[in-house]
Amino acid sequence: MSWITIVWSMNAAACLTLAGIYLLVWCKQRQNWAHLLFSFTAVATAAIAAFESAMMHAETIGQYEALLRWIHVPVWVLVISFVSFVRLYLHAGRRWLAWSICCLRTLVLILNFVFTPNLNFRHITSLRQFSWGGGEIISVPVGVANPWGLLSSVSLLLLLIFFVDATITVWRRGDRRRALVVGGSMIFGAILAWHVPLVIWGIIDIPFFLCFTYSGIVAAMAYELSYDVLHAAQLARQLQASEAELRETEQRMQLAASAAELGMWMWDIARNEIWITDKGRALFGFAPSEKLDFDRFRSALHPEDRESVHQAVENSLRTGAEYESEYRAVLPDGEVRWIAGRGHVEFNGDGQPVRMRGASVDITKRKQAEELAARQRNEMAHLSRVTMLGELSGSIAHELNLPLTAILCNAQAAQRILANGQVDRTELREILNEVISENKRACEVIRRLRLWLKKGEARQDSVRINKVVQDVLKLIHSDLVNQKVIVNCELARNLPAVTGDPVQLQQVLVNLVVNACDAMADCNTPERRLLIRTGTGNGNGNGAVLVSVTDRGGSIPEEKMEQIFEPFFTTKAKGMGLGLSVCHSIIAVHRGKLWATNNADCGATFHFSLPIGIRGTAVPISSNGQLDDHA
Amino acid sequence: MTTPSPTVFVVDDYAPVRRSISRVLHAAGFAVAAFASAEEFLAQYDPRTLGCLVLLELQDILAKAGSVLPIIFLTGTADIPKSVQAMKHGASDFLTKPVNDEDLLSAVRVAFEKNRSVRQQQTELSEILARLATLTPREREVLEYVVTGKLNKQIAGDLGTVEQTVKVHRARVMQKMRVRSVAELVRLTQRCGISAR
Repeated sequence: MSWITIVWSMNAAACLTLAGIYLLVWCKQRQNWAHLLFSFTAVATAAIAAFESAMMHAETIGQYEALLRWIHVPVWVLVISFVSFVRLYLHAGRRWLAWSICCLRTLVLILNFVFTPNLNFRHITSLRQFSWGGGEIISVPVGVANPWGLLSSVSLLLLLIFFVDATITVWRRGDRRRALVVGGSMIFGAILAWHVPLVIWGIIDIPFFLCFTYSGIVAAMAYELSYDVLHAAQLARQLQASEAELRETEQRMQLAASAAELGMWMWDIARNEIWITDKGRALFGFAPSEKLDFDRFRSALHPEDRESVHQAVENSLRTGAEYESEYRAVLPDGEVRWIAGRGHVEFNGDGQPVRMRGASVDITKRKQAEELAARQRNEMAHLSRVTMLGELSGSIAHELNLPLTAILCNAQAAQRILANGQVDRTELREILNEVISENKRACEVIRRLRLWLKKGEARQDSVRINKVVQDVLKLIHSDLVNQKVIVNCELARNLPAVTGDPVQLQQVLVNLVVNACDAMADCNTPERRLLIRTGTGNGNGNGAVLVSVTDRGGSIPEEKMEQIFEPFFTTKAKGMGLGLSVCHSIIAVHRGKLWATNNADCGATFHFSLPIGIRGTAVPISSNGQLDDHA
Repeated sequence: MTTPSPTVFVVDDYAPVRRSISRVLHAAGFAVAAFASAEEFLAQYDPRTLGCLVLLELQDILAKAGSVLPIIFLTGTADIPKSVQAMKHGASDFLTKPVNDEDLLSAVRVAFEKNRSVRQQQTELSEILARLATLTPREREVLEYVVTGKLNKQIAGDLGTVEQTVKVHRARVMQKMRVRSVAELVRLTQRCGISAR
């Protein structure tokens, strides 16, 4: 066997091997069409090598003609594959040129089977046999070239132009390695392929070695593809590394979450499935394998909190705002647990909510501490009210004495009228009417006192602030009269309601009014004027109701403006110095603000603001976690 | 013109209390006049009227007006500063609300009695003053010496005159003052505040 047979066979074998490998690769990754195209190219090159080898060993002209005709089939496959590869893999080459080449080559293939013996020759006159390069004897055709064979040459020329154009594009794109390796080998191959027409036209006298010109391209393509495969493997390694890192991050997250006692969750909205960590399951008392959806979550909530949580979720889904809510969950054993949940919604391209991720945490201890603080605050407020009542006892006794005196005198007058024997029925009726109305008045005083002295949780009522002002003025009316203080009120009409405890708000106002009166104790009687104003304004950025109490006493030294709200700060001989600090904490719990300013002429003004309609922070809970019922 | 009958004047700004106290007093047989304020009372008060004043709150204006009526204070709290203040304003009695009718009525009776005796004393006093006014300056001078218990001779010595002249003046003084003894004269002069020389 001579070297020629060995070299051509090895070429074919190498191409087939590569074709096999990349066909397998393509089978694994179907979306990568470049691999399939490469396989076609390699198979076609192997086929060309086989045909060329056979042609060299052809014995008769008939054999040679038939082989030359059929070699057009792998060449056609090869050209189509090349063009497709350049378009699909290199993303280069002009489309019209690509189509022209494909059509022309197909035309060449068809014409090849139309003409006899083939497209290249009108007829082959003889086979010249000679020994080439010290190898075995080979055959080279001698005959009349078919002028239609020029079409094949044109297609080859177009292919060359197509390759050059594509290479320039790739080069300019900056992908120089690809341009050099793939583009360069293709241009080189297309130039070398010109030996075929030269042989046919009898200009040179060598066997066809098309398989080598193309196997160079195949090798370049294989190198390029393997580079890609290597690159993919590298990416896969990196991905693995980053996955490991991700796992570690996840573990760290889990560690952090479990350290913070966080229950992480994710709600797939479309499928209505909730995934939650084991910690989260324990938090809500869900069984470890239980399937969870939104309704199951809702059923774990305290009945009174279901609506508010639902609203918070709805709001987040609608507006995309962060979900935030504090609620109670009832565990299967009946234990009530306070939980704070936070999360955010993820939307798809159409703006539809897809899923919600978040975390929940047990805040029972915090709530209990808050509850304790609220209780102590309420007790403090109560104590302060009791103290204040002691100070006001004289005027309260007076308020009670008035109706009691009227009742007693009326009743005794009635006795005397009856004893006198001259009964005036009209007068008796008047006496009884007055007894009843005075009794009601006394009851009203007692009712106010009871409210004032009532010990208990702060209420969350809707409060009209003007009503509070009027109630306070009734409560301390006598005190104001005794101290000869004239009160002017400027109450704004149609004030929105605020949420809070009416008695505690009264307490604040009584404190401010009593302080104002004390501040004016040394003033001349006509100067003892007090102004109470209500209105609306801005408090902490939101709408608020404002109340102010203006006196005409002394002013507050600037350096003590803040100090006056501290506990045990007092300027009075008898005072404990708790009044204003209690007021300050009451207003703070109502999410409002209490502050003082000095007036331009004389005296000081105390202001407080209360947000409109917002519930306070303190939700009263008792030790069993039930909301207190004030009804 | 007849003197008005003795009346209890009730002053308070709270109508039900004012009315009910008036009713009790009226039922007990007193003439009652009620006023919502001290100003209203002073505008209508006839100084000749006997009686007393029932005040439910201390009112400076009455003290300033110098009413001769005894005042009964009815107050909610009987604390010491208030009581002292009331007494300074010439309170006849000091009661706490709610008041029992018997306490009120007896206080009113006491006040009436007091008022009557004060009026009587005032009448007597004005009579003595009228008698004093009839004395000549010399007789008045002699009077002031007589009430110290000095003898005529001593008085004459002090005044630089003779005993006989002093004797005549003394007789005129006794006559004009309508007294029979020096002791009686001393009592009268003490009542109208004439000091001895």
